[in-house]
Amino acid sequence: MITVSNLTKTFGAQTVVSNVSFTLETNTATALIGPNGAGKTTTLSMLTGLLAPTSGSIEIAGVKDIRREIGFLPQYPQFYPWLTALEFTEMAAKLSGVPASAAKKEAERVLTFVGLEEAMKKKTVTFSGGMKQRLGMAQAIVHKPKLLLLDEPVSALDPVGRREIMNLLKELQQQTTILYSTHILNDAEEMTDQLLFLRKGELVESGSLTEVRTKFESPRYRIEFATQEDALQFASQSQLSATVTGSSVYVEIIEERPTMQQLLERLVASKFAVTKVERVTASLEEIFMKVAGQ
Amino acid sequence: MNTFLTLFTKEFREAWRSLKFVWMPLLFIVLGIMDPLTNYFMEDILGAVGNLPEGFMLTMPELHPIDVLSASTSQFQSIGLVVLVATIASAISRERQNGMATLLYVRPISFTALFMSKWAVASLLGIVSGVAGYAGSLYYTTLLYGSVEYGAFMKMLGTYCIWILFVTAVTLACSAMFNTAISMTLAILLLPFGLMIDSIIGSFWSLSPWKLSAYGVQFISGGTSEYYTATVALTLALMISAVLLGILFSKRNAATAKI
Amino acid sequence: MEELANINWGLIAPLIVVQAILMIVALTDLVRIHATNGPKWVWALVIIFANLVGPVIYFIVGRKSS
Repeated sequence: MITVSNLTKTFGAQTVVSNVSFTLETNTATALIGPNGAGKTTTLSMLTGLLAPTSGSIEIAGVKDIRREIGFLPQYPQFYPWLTALEFTEMAAKLSGVPASAAKKEAERVLTFVGLEEAMKKKTVTFSGGMKQRLGMAQAIVHKPKLLLLDEPVSALDPVGRREIMNLLKELQQQTTILYSTHILNDAEEMTDQLLFLRKGELVESGSLTEVRTKFESPRYRIEFATQEDALQFASQSQLSATVTGSSVYVEIIEERPTMQQLLERLVASKFAVTKVERVTASLEEIFMKVAGQ
Repeated sequence: MNTFLTLFTKEFREAWRSLKFVWMPLLFIVLGIMDPLTNYFMEDILGAVGNLPEGFMLTMPELHPIDVLSASTSQFQSIGLVVLVATIASAISRERQNGMATLLYVRPISFTALFMSKWAVASLLGIVSGVAGYAGSLYYTTLLYGSVEYGAFMKMLGTYCIWILFVTAVTLACSAMFNTAISMTLAILLLPFGLMIDSIIGSFWSLSPWKLSAYGVQFISGGTSEYYTATVALTLALMISAVLLGILFSKRNAATAKI
Repeated sequence: MEELANINWGLIAPLIVVQAILMIVALTDLVRIHATNGPKWVWALVIIFANLVGPVIYFIVGRKSS
């Protein structure tokens, strides 16, 4: 278990991260989300040990030097162009305390795992963006860290590359604790046990996806009519806070009025043909907008 | 020690694969043999291209081995030194600025090992180049101007190696402290430019690292300055201070590595 | 020109050979490197025509290292 308490970072008069506390359970994935400039990268930098916190602490249960137990993938990893992928990963392993006799083997293992077995003897200068990201993953996990930190791991990739990295992460989730930042909410929705919302350096919301959803979701219903005309007419007659998209009317239920009951009564009273009524679950994006706009 | 060896391997691969260990010694060899050769052919060259007036007699001063080695030394100390300093002044700062260092700094590495690995490779490069240059110069000097005593030559060479260690330590300390642009400027001001200043107004003092190479050359004439030992001691002391500063600042500036 | 013919070329040959090696090393590297700061053909001209200085300048500022 990893415990972060009251983490704060100030640069001069500016507070970039303010009093952030959270815990990461072993072998879970946590998404750190927030708009640009919310302090995500600064938080990760402090967790890596690269940046000293102004105050606060980071502890991994049972570990003295946490730098040994951390793997880090920056948003844009930069490699020494004159080294091959294997040489770089082997060096990374040795510097993180893997014994010299085992380092090469471990490097080959992780490079194969990330799908670079064909390219491991090539110099990194020839690598594409996707290959660099995979090499970045390899160097972050070669020493089997307890905590894997990733800064926007898939933001810069094309859909195929994104899929590949997400699949790798899902596999890794079985063996290690993952904390990753992202502003692409679909990715967070796909693989997360815990959400941490950062806004202006403060942790404004946290919890599992379901918890956050229940908290922020005001139930919404989608009523689909046969034609757009019907939809528009119903929306104007119904005296509800309703929006129309295509042939669907979206009704948001604020403070439980109207209830489902009342909504159905009105629907029955109207003469329009209804093809579908459903409850809509809010996407993370919508929750995000609400949290960000608090 | 393991960290040092790992980082040393990395640094050495960088220097080797970017051909630094090939081109820099070649440059020093050219610098080393240029002066013995051009001085030897001076009369011919002037006669061929000089358009000297009829009956003009040119009396060339007679050069001794020490004059020639001294001329070669000043080549190494001007062009050679600028090239060496410019090549290594970005060694620490560039990695921070382009983010390559980030993947190292997040690991439990010792910054002493980090600085030492860079200093070792930079010094090796400088020493190999300097030795190659002096070897070239010595070859032509003995061929064209007379023999040089072996022991005296080795003393001169050893002294020059101390100077190189000082140069690399100071330059890398600059690189640890500042960004590449400032580090490059400062190292060039301190070292090649410092030499120039010392040669212009340096007659007022005798103890200065910038005089070390000149004291080294004096061995060739049979004996060196009475200030030699003190100058070596001062240079070594300043070198150690530069190394300590370099280690301190590589650690302190690690947080400025681009993420 | 007669004076030049009398010069002992055996003495100068090593200087020419070393400079040639330096030029060849620089040109080989230029061909093999993936990118340079500025167009490659300009560097080729610099290496060939600026004796000694050309190859050295290429190695210091021409090679792209990231």
